Amino acid sequence: MHQPRLKSKVRCTDREVGEITHVIVDPLSHEVSHIVVGGNGGGGRQIPMSEVQSVADDLVQLRTASSAIVQFPALKRDEYVTTHEVEIAHLEDHLHVESGEVLVPLPTLERNVPRRTFFMNLTHAIGALVALPLAFPVLKYLMKPMYSPFDNAWLKVGNVNRIKTEDVGVQFKYKKKVKEAFMPEADVDKNVWLLKASPTVLEDVYKGKDMEFRDQTGRLVWTNKKDVPYVVFSGKCPHLGCGYKWRKVPKLGKEIFLCPCHLSIYEPSGKVLDGPAPRPLDTLPIRVDAGGNVEIIDMEFKAGTKAQTRIV
Amino acid sequence: MGSQPNLLEKVIAFVDERVGLKTLQAKMLNEPVPGGSRWAYIFGSVLLFIFIMQAVTGILLMFYYVPSADHAYASTQYIIHEVDYGWFLLSYHFWGSSAMVIMVFAHMSQVFLWGAYKKPREMIWLVGLALFGIVMGFGFTGYLLPWDQRAYWATTVGVEIMDKTPIVGDFMARFLKGGATPGQMTLSRFFVIHVMILPAALMGLAGLHIFLFRKAGPAGPFRGTPDELKAKTDYFFPRQIWKDMVAMGTVFATICSLAFIEPVVLLEEATPDPGEYHPEPEWYFLFLFQLLRLKIFAGEFGQFLGAIAIPGVFMALLAALPFIDRSPERNIFKRPVALIGWIVVMATILIFTVSAIINREFLD
Repeated sequence: MHQPRLKSKVRCTDREVGEITHVIVDPLSHEVSHIVVGGNGGGGRQIPMSEVQSVADDLVQLRTASSAIVQFPALKRDEYVTTHEVEIAHLEDHLHVESGEVLVPLPTLERNVPRRTFFMNLTHAIGALVALPLAFPVLKYLMKPMYSPFDNAWLKVGNVNRIKTEDVGVQFKYKKKVKEAFMPEADVDKNVWLLKASPTVLEDVYKGKDMEFRDQTGRLVWTNKKDVPYVVFSGKCPHLGCGYKWRKVPKLGKEIFLCPCHLSIYEPSGKVLDGPAPRPLDTLPIRVDAGGNVEIIDMEFKAGTKAQTRIV
Repeated sequence: MGSQPNLLEKVIAFVDERVGLKTLQAKMLNEPVPGGSRWAYIFGSVLLFIFIMQAVTGILLMFYYVPSADHAYASTQYIIHEVDYGWFLLSYHFWGSSAMVIMVFAHMSQVFLWGAYKKPREMIWLVGLALFGIVMGFGFTGYLLPWDQRAYWATTVGVEIMDKTPIVGDFMARFLKGGATPGQMTLSRFFVIHVMILPAALMGLAGLHIFLFRKAGPAGPFRGTPDELKAKTDYFFPRQIWKDMVAMGTVFATICSLAFIEPVVLLEEATPDPGEYHPEPEWYFLFLFQLLRLKIFAGEFGQFLGAIAIPGVFMALLAALPFIDRSPERNIFKRPVALIGWIVVMATILIFTVSAIINREFLD
């Protein structure tokens, strides 16, 4: 059945009783539930769609006689809102209750535009013309500080006379001068762990071979001799980069390196004893002069990887 | 003859004629809520309220805060100790962020349990997931800004985790840090992301979220025949708005109380030497932090699994949810897999969070 339209004439079984002044829509089913018939002194009666026998273009046929119309309730306008005053999703999508189409004339200039698609594409093309040349400069602009060359300078960190016992981790704090972008040069607090290694631990660290350190180009920077008993570890945990500590663990009955973040545990030689770390502690280049002064090259390696990748 | 309109009425009529305010107001307030207003529907409005308050307090903090490695800490301390009510605004902003995370979880749980992500509301769900990501991004970028030890180490570890993403990880991590290690460039980048990029993204996506919600209409309860629902239907105003307002008032009072009882205290200034500090992220990242302590997530592959693959797959599953779960059944008691899944996820987060807290003892 068609939907009854506004202004349609309404006929009872015997005669015409007026025209549709409102239609009422069910907010859930979105179907027309009632029509309101006015005119001929009717005062707006609200008639359910079940009383409608048929709907033609501009005539609605009811099942009732005209004398029965007054039995239907009069429309109480306060109990309704118009569709313009309420937000019901998709309510208007399949309502066709207006009496005929509502038209607005198309402006004359719009009537014969043959290149509408062309103009649309041109808009996109100009957009791309603005955006694409910017992509590379913007990327380079943002990437400026991302990669910087390594600094292989030797830094003084202290004297080995602080180390009293073999195979005990001792923290050496030092300051590194950092000049970042536009910032004034600043002293950044850093730390490494030093160990006076017993022969067995030294063997664990170096596996009987000298340890070589190279820069990006592959040039040899320094070699840690396998028989120098002083070993230095980067202060950065190779798991996810926290700072680890030297701790006595009663459960293990010995002292170890422990990272408080994700609980990686390392032997004095740096070997992973327990926890999630993927590789041993990172050994750094060290040189100790005759007076026991220690110098290191400050290096940092990417955390979380099995292989050692230098990043600083 | 009716009485003459007074000046105020004339002004309102003038504006209304040009803007259509009354229609707009009617459209905004007269939204039928199928089955009637409920306390379960407050979370979206509360989130909007919290966000507005975060924006207001955030803007106020920027009047004194300086995003530079040599002034961020000092300027934050100045806000806390010298500026009148600075401690309160900063603490409100701090606790507001926690409230936001809690409400996001509540909101997502409600939508999930009510089956409200199903057709035709898939797009609302997807945009909602993006908003969830933005809220977590706010948390992550926000707590670097005070530049204290907590800030420094949470960022160090967080970015190292991102670095584990295959192929693009190294680039992403360097891009965020603005170099190989956290420093001034990191602070600048996090600041821009926190105060410009994320707020803009959140406002745009929240607008889209609400637009799509209005387009599809509220889902309503998961039980009840159309006639029952119709009988109980009311409009967004006044009953739902009243409930929303009560919730906002409660959240506001709670955040204020927390700001008074536990105002923000900074740790030592950030340095790459943690001293005696045991790094730990904000409570809502604790479960992830604890997860990475597990032996099964050890080593390079284990770490990828725990830090990238599992959270990634979980988010992908959430995104695919409305397309996998195509049954129109919305009653949670008739969706056992969904119900058990929700309980398992919540219980896992809870257990890992609690065990992270218990583990603190072991470290001292």
